[in-house]
Amino acid sequence: MRVHIPSALRKWTGGRDVIALEPGADERLTAAEVIAAVAQEFPGIRDRVLDEQGALRRHVNIFIDGENARFLGELDAQVGRDSDIWIHPSLSGGGQAAQTAK
Amino acid sequence: MTKAKLRPNAGDLLLMVGTAKGAFLFSSDRSREKFAMTGPHFPGQSVWSAAFIGNGAARILIGNKSEHWGAMVSRSDDFGATWNDAIEGNVKFPSGSGVALNAIWALEAATSLGDDAVLAGVDPAALFRSEDRGETFRLNEALFNHPDRQRWNPGFGGLCLHSILVHPENPKRMYAAISSGGIYRTEDGGDSWATCVNGLRVHPDVPGATLCPHKLRFDAENPARMYLQNHPGVYRTDNEGRSWVTIENGLPSDFGFPMVAHPRRGETIYTFPLTADADRVPPGGIPRVWRSRDAGGSWQPLGKGLPERDGYFTVLRDAFSADSLDPAGLYFGTRGGQLYGSNDEGESWRAIAEFLPPILCVKTATVS
Repeated sequence: MRVHIPSALRKWTGGRDVIALEPGADERLTAAEVIAAVAQEFPGIRDRVLDEQGALRRHVNIFIDGENARFLGELDAQVGRDSDIWIHPSLSGGGQAAQTAK
Repeated sequence: MTKAKLRPNAGDLLLMVGTAKGAFLFSSDRSREKFAMTGPHFPGQSVWSAAFIGNGAARILIGNKSEHWGAMVSRSDDFGATWNDAIEGNVKFPSGSGVALNAIWALEAATSLGDDAVLAGVDPAALFRSEDRGETFRLNEALFNHPDRQRWNPGFGGLCLHSILVHPENPKRMYAAISSGGIYRTEDGGDSWATCVNGLRVHPDVPGATLCPHKLRFDAENPARMYLQNHPGVYRTDNEGRSWVTIENGLPSDFGFPMVAHPRRGETIYTFPLTADADRVPPGGIPRVWRSRDAGGSWQPLGKGLPERDGYFTVLRDAFSADSLDPAGLYFGTRGGQLYGSNDEGESWRAIAEFLPPILCVKTATVS
């Protein structure tokens, strides 16, 4: 499987845009396990994709072969051995972030 | 982007300005007539807090937040020419606590606690401490597990711990102010915390409602005395927070966010009143800093150089600071992106920058 890294996180993968993982023939990985596998080699990835309780950050999406993992069980979503996984910042905007009163 | 490197000399002023879209650094000599600027640093990220560590090699700490990738403390040892982002998050709640960091609202170098000590206040409300100049942080469990926590209630700005005060002579005595939570004092270096809000009124003024302190500061000469801009009301304590008296008489409004104390002269304080909770602009559209020289007994407006009309901006709680030079300089940033400064203790003001993103925090330091 191939994990596609967004440009904003390539600082933490030595500039690599795709990380190849090769699970065993009988090994089934979840999205969480894919992130953990990438983070094992590139530790800067984990805390940027997941919060400290292990939840997918609100404005980060994971796509598995073109499907948003949020609709496939989120971090429990199953990933095929030949899947393409994309970590992608949400296309969000126009909100009140950092606009609230201090 | 302004890329010129800041090269402040010893004794120069450093201004660290956090905005909704990055940090900006300014420096000036002691005259504070001309400022050099670099930024935005961390473009696109909100910067809620900053600190300067002057002992040893100079270090700037920035509390930044990416809406996508989370919040952390980043550091620069060359006045912003380069930044060191932590590989892994360096302000994290314990695994299994069920709580995740939202933003880092306060960073304070706390050399009285140790040469390398830094304190951080965060949302959701908690205090963290670093012993390695801001590289890693550890949660203060006693405040995090305080029984009051279940009654803390996020306000419009979140559930933030925004004010951290370390007693200058007795560092085991510290204060932490939480919006909307209350004010807490420790006498044992953070092992236990007691509420100290006797005399403060709540908003709305009903039993059970949550106290909402906005900004807490020490008096420059008497650390038993502190000043508070509360959500409703302006207050002073003369007995280490055991009781509070109102000092808002003479101000045009009891509502506002910042509170600033003169760096050396006791009883001299500054605030920036807004019309009301439901109308957060200067009264009459005439922005004024208000100063008291008698610990809140009377107040005078300071407006030379500020707009005389149509000034409907807001100054947030961490966006108003004093420097430590003589005469004292004062600096505030607005949600409209203007950075104003005074090099004569507030008697006159001028714009240092006019078109920044919404300003969230303004911190000062004298370069050692």
